[in-house]
Amino acid sequence: MAQQHGIIVLFDVENALRTRSLDGNTYWFDNMKLLGSVGVGTEQLVTIVPGTHFLDGSQATEQVLNWLPAALGSIPPTVPRNYLAEQERADDRRTLEELAALGSAGSVSDADLKRLQRRVGKRARKSGSGRGLTEAKLLDVTGKTTTSPGAYNYPAPVITDITGQAVSEKIMYPAQYGSPDMIYDGWYWAATVDTSRPGVYPYTMHVQLHELVEQDDELVWQSVDLTCQSSLKIINDPKRNGFTGAGLGVLPLPSVPAAG
Amino acid sequence: MPPRNRQSERQPARPVRPVTITAVVDPVAALASENLDDNLYFYDTNKAAGSTGFGTPELHSRVRKGDTLLWNVIPLECETYVALADIEIDPRIAEPTRKVYPGTDIVFWTAEVKQDLTEPVPYRLSFLLGTVGTPFTPTARPALAGPANEGKGGR
Repeated sequence: MAQQHGIIVLFDVENALRTRSLDGNTYWFDNMKLLGSVGVGTEQLVTIVPGTHFLDGSQATEQVLNWLPAALGSIPPTVPRNYLAEQERADDRRTLEELAALGSAGSVSDADLKRLQRRVGKRARKSGSGRGLTEAKLLDVTGKTTTSPGAYNYPAPVITDITGQAVSEKIMYPAQYGSPDMIYDGWYWAATVDTSRPGVYPYTMHVQLHELVEQDDELVWQSVDLTCQSSLKIINDPKRNGFTGAGLGVLPLPSVPAAG
Repeated sequence: MPPRNRQSERQPARPVRPVTITAVVDPVAALASENLDDNLYFYDTNKAAGSTGFGTPELHSRVRKGDTLLWNVIPLECETYVALADIEIDPRIAEPTRKVYPGTDIVFWTAEVKQDLTEPVPYRLSFLLGTVGTPFTPTARPALAGPANEGKGGR
């Protein structure tokens, strides 16, 4: 089983929302620099995809690509997948407990109530139509509840489609997979690649960013749909094992474990 | 079309979000090649203010006195481990403190910029990679820099 390509796209969401464009506001990475991907960390990534055979001519599995979008300046994707939802619930639970404690203590001061009110935070609704985010409490970029609409953590960009030459010429077959639970953000895009026709094939990624706007005294997530480009470079070279530089077969491990 | 809330940008008020400096690290390649510099990519959220060196280990972040800075890390593969172990910077400029996102052990660092800078101030970040116990420090150094010359009048 060959390694899957992970393609990470880092979006400068703040700049993209301001300029209403992804030009100059995306940074692309894959984990195949070793095999010849170029432009890693820039807007001009060309992802290398070797052929589906090994050095000895034996059949390898087709290459799988996975795309992972992330927002620059947000809570990083290394926190648990459901972090924002869990954090919101934990925070509400704490606030309720403290509120109950206040009630039993007899006298309730304004200051205490104000403090708890701040902790309740603000909720942003999803916009009336179309795909979007679920209603959720605002967290800032350090995971704390915030009432300031200027401090919210940018939600991860959502890939809505992958099109372009690489798709129309049937070089790759992208599709969206995963759990349809939008709260837990379970969707991801993956593709398999036909490596029988070497060449460079551009593709277009359609991305939805989310901006918080005040509308009728409410905060609403407004979706902003933008596109950006990248390329695949299909080559005829055989797949290589990252450890041995050869095909499948035994790894270069000593047959007898070292004494000690 | 809802009104776009953009007035705040015109005012001299501080941005509410911190200036985030993100290190993207390929820990597998860094450990395999024993070269962190080639597998380290810095970005920040202050490109509009004139930060330079995006995608290199020598990012120059444009900052002003009073800005809150936040450093965090994104590993290139989600199964791998990278953490920001330490930040060495002149304490007269900033004194970073280590924090975690509430309810997790994922580390970030924050600091407040204590003074406006006339010269770029290089600083050093070190990273924990994989299961190796001692931190790795890249040779190249990122820097904090003051407002761009052409921007001075406007600010």
